[in-house]
Amino acid sequence: MTERDRGNRYVIPALVLLSFVTIYPVFYVFYLSLQRRLLIFDISRFAGFGNYLFLLSDERFWNALKNTAYFTSLSVSLELLLGLLIALLLNRPFRFRGGIRAVVLIPWAIPTVVSAKMWEWIYNTDFGVLNYLIGSKINWLGSPFWAMNAAVFMDVWKTTPFVAILLMAGLQVIPQDLYQAARVDGAGSWFVFRRITLPLLRPVILVVLIFRTLDAFRVFDAVYVLTGGGPANTTETLSIYAYKVLFQTLQFGYGSTLSVVVFLCTGAISVFYIKLLSRGMRQRDRNVPPIDRGDIPVPPAREIQVKQ
Amino acid sequence: MLFREILDRFEREHPGIKVKDETLPASTDEQHQFYVINLEGKSADFDLLSMDVIWVPEFARAGWLRDLSHLLPEDERKGFFPGPMDAVTYQEKIYAIPWYVDAGLLYYRKDLLKKYGFIPPETWQELVRIARHVSEREAGVYGFIWQGKQYEGLICNVLEYFWGNGGNILKDGRSVINSPENAEALTFMRALITEYRVTPPLVTTAIEEPTRHIFGNGRAVFMRNWPYAWNIFEREGSPVRGKVGVSPLPAFPGKDSASTLGGWQLGINRYSKHTEAAEKLIKFLTSPEVQKKLALTIGYKPSRRSLYQDAELIREQPFIANLHDVFMRAKPRPVSPYYMMISQVIQPEFSAAISGIKTPEEALDSAHRQIGFILEVEK
Amino acid sequence: MKRAFFYLLLISLVLWCSGPLLWQLITSLKPDAELTRIPPLLPENPTSIHYSAIFAEHPFLRIILNSAVVASATTALSLLIGSFAAFGLAKLRIRYKAMILGFVLSVSMFPPIATVSPLYMIIRTLGLRDTWWALIMTYTTFSLPLSIWILTNFFREISDEIYSAAKVDGCTPFQAFYKIILPLSAPGFFTTAILVFIFSWNEFLFALTFTSTPASRTIPVGIALFPGLHEVPWGDIAAASIVVTIPLVLLVFVFQRRIIEGLTAGAVKG
Repeated sequence: MTERDRGNRYVIPALVLLSFVTIYPVFYVFYLSLQRRLLIFDISRFAGFGNYLFLLSDERFWNALKNTAYFTSLSVSLELLLGLLIALLLNRPFRFRGGIRAVVLIPWAIPTVVSAKMWEWIYNTDFGVLNYLIGSKINWLGSPFWAMNAAVFMDVWKTTPFVAILLMAGLQVIPQDLYQAARVDGAGSWFVFRRITLPLLRPVILVVLIFRTLDAFRVFDAVYVLTGGGPANTTETLSIYAYKVLFQTLQFGYGSTLSVVVFLCTGAISVFYIKLLSRGMRQRDRNVPPIDRGDIPVPPAREIQVKQ
Repeated sequence: MLFREILDRFEREHPGIKVKDETLPASTDEQHQFYVINLEGKSADFDLLSMDVIWVPEFARAGWLRDLSHLLPEDERKGFFPGPMDAVTYQEKIYAIPWYVDAGLLYYRKDLLKKYGFIPPETWQELVRIARHVSEREAGVYGFIWQGKQYEGLICNVLEYFWGNGGNILKDGRSVINSPENAEALTFMRALITEYRVTPPLVTTAIEEPTRHIFGNGRAVFMRNWPYAWNIFEREGSPVRGKVGVSPLPAFPGKDSASTLGGWQLGINRYSKHTEAAEKLIKFLTSPEVQKKLALTIGYKPSRRSLYQDAELIREQPFIANLHDVFMRAKPRPVSPYYMMISQVIQPEFSAAISGIKTPEEALDSAHRQIGFILEVEK
Repeated sequence: MKRAFFYLLLISLVLWCSGPLLWQLITSLKPDAELTRIPPLLPENPTSIHYSAIFAEHPFLRIILNSAVVASATTALSLLIGSFAAFGLAKLRIRYKAMILGFVLSVSMFPPIATVSPLYMIIRTLGLRDTWWALIMTYTTFSLPLSIWILTNFFREISDEIYSAAKVDGCTPFQAFYKIILPLSAPGFFTTAILVFIFSWNEFLFALTFTSTPASRTIPVGIALFPGLHEVPWGDIAAASIVVTIPLVLLVFVFQRRIIEGLTAGAVKG
């Protein structure tokens, strides 16, 4: 391994921009979360962990957490599965592949607020096209059972393209020689998928999982426009609750506390993913025969000293 | 564009003053968010602001609005509808001037009522009877539709039943929401869906536009909605053109009908640096001439009572004659700085009651408890 | 048989993805009176009135321009700054890499509604309200975590040997970066570009808060201004969603053919 050059200067622009824009808001939110701040009544005083203690006994918080967890786990799993299927389907070249890849992007390309309104109309019991096509009169958004699942379905439709195109890119950089070598060795498709494709996709899957989970956990616009958190708060997610507390009731202290809790949850989830998948990667590396990545073409006539 | 012309006229009449206007998205939540973010930051970026009727006590208590009592002497106040005047008065001072009014109405198919020999109902029970009778005989027509999604409009709907039964949410600063009258009213609303079956379950997710579309396609006998729908029903190509009548909402037997007040008020930002010019503009925009112009062009319903007898306005918009009585009975939601918090707490409770997740009594008891906490919040 | 199944899947995929948009297209051609009448599915008197309305009643062209400028600038900046950072993190020596990646990721862990208020204060103080820069700066920042993580991942996949070989050849790290690493990770690069572009094209909350006039208003906020007091001009909104989505998809299609397939073809064959 050759001596690595110092890379600090390459990350500095990113770090500077990120710090400049986010340090103040983040500290401000943390600071507010420790305050009892009611704008209307001009109340502004330090409350220590009072807000956090209140949160632990706040039924509405636990309800929102439950809804958010349900929404996130269902959406992300479905999106990952479907996204992977789509990526695999569109991996091998065929006629119109370019066009279809662009079409797959359509749900992601529609503005979220427009998409949510559109789905609200599609789900309309009376003049919505969904009930018309399947011949039913289901009250999709007004029934406690269907509402959350309708929201999940809408989210899956909207964000599967995100997963799909990332996985497509991940598949594209897997060297074709690996597949050829495996086929020469007589390996079947399932074996190839499990032992070659999947392990090599793991890093991209990790990125997809983290970002999708972060986004799903923080979901706001889509569900808010679709159901407003109803009926009876059965679709109220943490972000919707935080929004209402912050901007409807103007309780800036408690609203910030809720936001900090979202931050802590998403942080914990990310750490969990990273630990899970890196452990998995190390495990795999021990079981699978070493894949010779050196087959990627290299500028000719150079001898490379590789120090292991 | 039309609004800009009105502002240009103001600039001509007041040389030296330039007015810049900014349109906010129609969603009342987004507007509220905008104002909160700016006013919390003591922004002087805007001088005049147009407020939903439920924000005035909240903004006044927060100290974000300038006291405008001197702009409206006692006799002039009587020129406005009583409901909006109540809504803009906080602790005996006036913090905004009512600009245009909105209130709940009963829309009905006068052709269908005539066909079956009915007159517009005065009590809820009559409405149910008529709705049932007609919808059973007309295919694909619902009896009565209203807005029942979990949002602010749900409170507007529910209050019309509470008030129509003599109940209320707050009285003398205390919660009276779990009264038997309210429980009866809320049970009635749920019964509209389950027992009387004149209202389809889809109302639990309906807001103004979906119900307007259903009624406008000829698919309902009765609808509760705001006055805006009328113009749409009378447009070219509308299936219900000429077939729609309006009346004040029914009430429970022996009680008075009431409708929930909506509408927008103009206030002056306390941090404004141009208070003199702002006051001139606010007087201009709420003057009878400008209110009449806005009614004729954009369709805003004036907050000044005199305009409802104006010959030209009645000639151009005959509908407006019906509205005077309705607006006289329009009551504001609780005029209290706690209202926004109360609203967030009772919306899910009402939604639970009409969706059958909780019984009306449970919902109202829970609401009562939570409102109790809210009223103590300053301690 | 397998082929037939494959094509069946393809058709289902296309229908599933484009179905709702097709429904929007159909809706956009219906006059107001027909908007919610179903049956029939198709308009009886198709009209282009909604398309002309969105440009006549609103400065929609300007709004599209704003979105295009903001999204392009954001994408360019995000890719530039992000790829540099990713290159450093993937290939070079940096202390506390894990911490840096963690810090970068944490920017995406806050609900945006919590940060919108303080951020607005910063924007106002800098006098950037209602400018393109307010949005470009914000969007670049919030898209950096995704850019950095995706690109770091793709750069890591490229074997160290190639990089070393290039260095031996006499390239500076920077030259190695843009001559070798970029082309080899073209799919990742391009994917990041699409995702960042679409993110800033469709972002609503910050656009709503930071813009106030058509000078900088972007598409989602423009569409949010269509409704009146209570009336929602659904036909106009449907037309707007077509006008705003289809060019985007076409753009992606064209770029994809040219750039990505061009780059990968060149690099991998070597």
